[in-house]
Amino acid sequence: MKYVIKKIGTMIFTLCVVCFLIFGAFSLIPGDPALSRLGTQATESSLNALREQMGLNRPFLVRFADWFVHALAGDFGTSYSYNMPVSDMILDKVPITITLTLLAFVLIVLVSIPLSIYSVMHENGPVDRGILILNQILMAVPPFFSGMLITFFFGIVLKWFVPGGFVSYKKSFSGFLGYMLFPAIAVALPKIAMTVKLFRKSLLQEKKKEYVRTAYSKGNDSRGVLYGHMMKNALIPVITFLGMVLTDMIAGSIIIEQVFNIPGLGRILMTSISNRDYPVVEAIVLCIAVLVIVVNFLVDVLYHVIDPRMRTE
Amino acid sequence: MQKKKKRHSFNFILGAVLTGLIAVMLLIGIFAMPYAPDAMNKSLKFAGISPAHLMGCDNFGRDIFSRVLQGLKMTLGIAAGTVCIGTFFGMVIGAFTGYFGGWLDEVLMRINDAVFAFPSILLALVMVSLFGTGKWNVMLALGIAFIPSFARIVRSEFLYQKNLDYVKSARLMGAGHLRIMFVHILPNTLPVLISSIMIGFNNAVLAEAGMSYLGIGVQPPDASLGRMLSEAQTYLFSTPTYAMFPGLVLIVMILGFSLLADEM
Repeated sequence: MKYVIKKIGTMIFTLCVVCFLIFGAFSLIPGDPALSRLGTQATESSLNALREQMGLNRPFLVRFADWFVHALAGDFGTSYSYNMPVSDMILDKVPITITLTLLAFVLIVLVSIPLSIYSVMHENGPVDRGILILNQILMAVPPFFSGMLITFFFGIVLKWFVPGGFVSYKKSFSGFLGYMLFPAIAVALPKIAMTVKLFRKSLLQEKKKEYVRTAYSKGNDSRGVLYGHMMKNALIPVITFLGMVLTDMIAGSIIIEQVFNIPGLGRILMTSISNRDYPVVEAIVLCIAVLVIVVNFLVDVLYHVIDPRMRTE
Repeated sequence: MQKKKKRHSFNFILGAVLTGLIAVMLLIGIFAMPYAPDAMNKSLKFAGISPAHLMGCDNFGRDIFSRVLQGLKMTLGIAAGTVCIGTFFGMVIGAFTGYFGGWLDEVLMRINDAVFAFPSILLALVMVSLFGTGKWNVMLALGIAFIPSFARIVRSEFLYQKNLDYVKSARLMGAGHLRIMFVHILPNTLPVLISSIMIGFNNAVLAEAGMSYLGIGVQPPDASLGRMLSEAQTYLFSTPTYAMFPGLVLIVMILGFSLLADEM
């Protein structure tokens, strides 16, 4: 419990540092938001009035404190280019990106763990070898290219889904999930390959250890040894890796959203970057950062629960 | 009689062959480009595969093979630049923090941890939105995003090496800190550094292709593999070969390199 509280403390600290870095970075950019909003023909007095209204004249730390307090309350200011509250723009997009990531994550866990167990139980068999070769290839395919291949085969050749025909989750949730499955596969494929590689290696390493022999000599069959003894130990590095995968996918979904024409966080992020719409970029980056930090925190805690050695320190 | 020669594994040979293939393509691209990569020819719009146009032509009638070669040069160049920036600064930061420790180490490593927790593509996106788009900015942004991982690796190596006997004896002989760091310890970190450079290179290739795919990397009329893929996506239905070739080249490159890196 003490550990969890300490971790929460570090998490809040990291969050504050990240907020400061994000806000600081975007304050350093040359260029005047007031000028870009009003155009170069604006008069000096109207520019000054707008700067006053947008609060650009105040000192940096005051602006940061103001932004930070508002951000905590979920208010990220007004978009420069759309003139509407940023939170309204991104709020209904967050579920899309999270669904994509979680769907891909579930796929990774459901596919890679049974595959690696099978592959270890039949080490050097034809399936094991096949999996190894497939792994190497899958790891080399960039997700946006596998996304295009999936669009081509499942969308154009097999016609299992309509390429680009995104269904909003507000309209039909099952249609939404059906469409999201394909981008999720594209995101998941290389990660599945990496997870299988890692978990297989980890299981094989555990297999050589003394306690496994002891477990066999006590009369366990290979299933009992695998599930009762090896599994927990072999899973530890995999959990760390899966945490990294999860955070990586939150960002990686930006690209996949572009491939499958999904109006998620990635889409607004890209348009906002090209429009130099900084409040929106700030808010999205902060959202993703919070997700990443929370996931890292959960992994740390989970690690602690699984591995008793961590608790003694 | 010693007849045991070191046999290379199948993976190593395959990796070498694939990397060699990419190297040959790179050389063709530098010395014997078949067509100017941005020469347009309306009559060749979406021309199929033929001896004259090995990979056919794109929507402007440009030779895809030449554009793939051009894109390969660009992608490799940006990835190399990225890895250079990341390795150089990562090495310096890692060397100082690992060797001296103390409050500098504490502060830099806290920042490093915060940055490292971020997916590098997100970091690069933020930096591109700060600096602006274009190939130089992408190289810089990805390079900066890669610094923490290199710094971490070099730091842990330095932490380990600085307590070894050879460092003590170098100090007894009167070597200064900088000399010990860069003349004595650094060469000993090379084995670890090289394999992480190779993995970093692969990640840089993937990241660059992703950024160019998103349209914030290499700008037209320059070709890059990622950019070609995003252009080809519109024609996936009518001309799937346009997308397949740049994608295949990308896969061959990454596969070859990762096979080699595994065997290092």
